[in-house]
Amino acid sequence: MQMVSERTSNRGSMATTQTDAAEKAAELLAKIAENRNRAAFSELFRLFAPKLQSYATRQFGNEQTAMDLVQETMTNVWHKAHLFKPDRGSPSTWIFTIARNIRFDLLRKNKKRKDDISADELWPILSEQNDSLDDGYALDHDVLMQEISFYYAQLPDAQRVVIEKIYIEGKSQQEVSDALGVPLGTIKSRTRLALKKLKELIVDDD
Amino acid sequence: MMIKSHPGEGLLYQYASGDLSAAMTLVVGTHIDMCKACRQTVCEIEQKLCEENLDTLVSVASTTMSKSQCDQMLEAIFASSACNKQAHQPNEILSLEGRRFTLPRTLAHNSHRIGEWSKLVGKLWRAPLTLDNGNQTNLIYMAPGAKLPEHTHKGKEATLVIDGVFNDEQSEYRDGDFILLDPSRTHTPETQDEDCLTLATLDAPLHFTSGISRLLNPFSQLFFR
Ligand SMILES: [Zn+2]
Repeated sequence: MQMVSERTSNRGSMATTQTDAAEKAAELLAKIAENRNRAAFSELFRLFAPKLQSYATRQFGNEQTAMDLVQETMTNVWHKAHLFKPDRGSPSTWIFTIARNIRFDLLRKNKKRKDDISADELWPILSEQNDSLDDGYALDHDVLMQEISFYYAQLPDAQRVVIEKIYIEGKSQQEVSDALGVPLGTIKSRTRLALKKLKELIVDDD
Repeated sequence: MMIKSHPGEGLLYQYASGDLSAAMTLVVGTHIDMCKACRQTVCEIEQKLCEENLDTLVSVASTTMSKSQCDQMLEAIFASSACNKQAHQPNEILSLEGRRFTLPRTLAHNSHRIGEWSKLVGKLWRAPLTLDNGNQTNLIYMAPGAKLPEHTHKGKEATLVIDGVFNDEQSEYRDGDFILLDPSRTHTPETQDEDCLTLATLDAPLHFTSGISRLLNPFSQLFFR
């Protein structure tokens, strides 16, 4: 595979070459998206596979994992070419972000459990959903906040009062002791029991 | 509304390179959904990373693919079926306590990972996000007049305001504000008249420092879990 045409020491002509390369790649992606054009994909593959392989080899230092990255990245390009948006960036940047995502998953492959999050969920660049980022975030302030029963409402009154004073009013246990006219030792044991009870309630609910 | 507190450029670089943890990627990514300026910066960084990593071919001579390897891989790709494993529809509406929140894109795509809401003491609610092993990422809802006891962090804490406003001793934070706290800083987040929905992730459990609140430290492990 020959890649010499893009290697040059002259920055100016390299930039020109890259613009040409970008246009070429965008054309190929359009063809692939339009009619699953295998010839176009093969050409794109020959342009990008060596670059991806070089990137992946430097990232993983492992030839087989590097090949996995090339294959998985280009498989995504083949199936998702229609998701490339020329107005959002260059083809190579788009392909790079796909490779970045594949790398993210490959690095976690050994530790990964079935439901662990994947890169596609973190960077939804290949999502079919047409969700725009510029809509802003409408708030719904009109809906009334309803109070429902709190966990700590389930505590015995004596414990609940102590917890409320410490957590909501920010009082110290000594201050609570003074305010309620209850010995400090009792406040401490109520706090301890309340926290224990809360843990049970919360854990049960999870 | 102007977002005034952003992730640093170093963090954006790590985000774009895919070098952050899943949890931190989610929090930074959600900020980017909400922040045009950072979105632009990340675009530029991705372009730069692409130029460095992909456009500039560093020849690793020994590993160049042979023609037959290329053909083999092409064949495998053409034979592959499009995996549309989009099992979970994004859900951008979050309802809590009669309030409706619109979730930014990245969070909406992960709505199925939001666990049950638990009412905690002090007008606070928490819902854990299940990302991967050992993560401590939560949506935290603070009703008006809520207050977290003063605490420091054993690890870095990243907090993103999804909706509303809260403040600590240093400043006030609103929609889109991203706050990264290092272990040395203590702070006391609280809400005043408005409520606040935040996304928070933590390297290590909270450590309460103020007076008697230190007794509550075991509880913090429940809170940020
Ligand atoms: Zn920003």
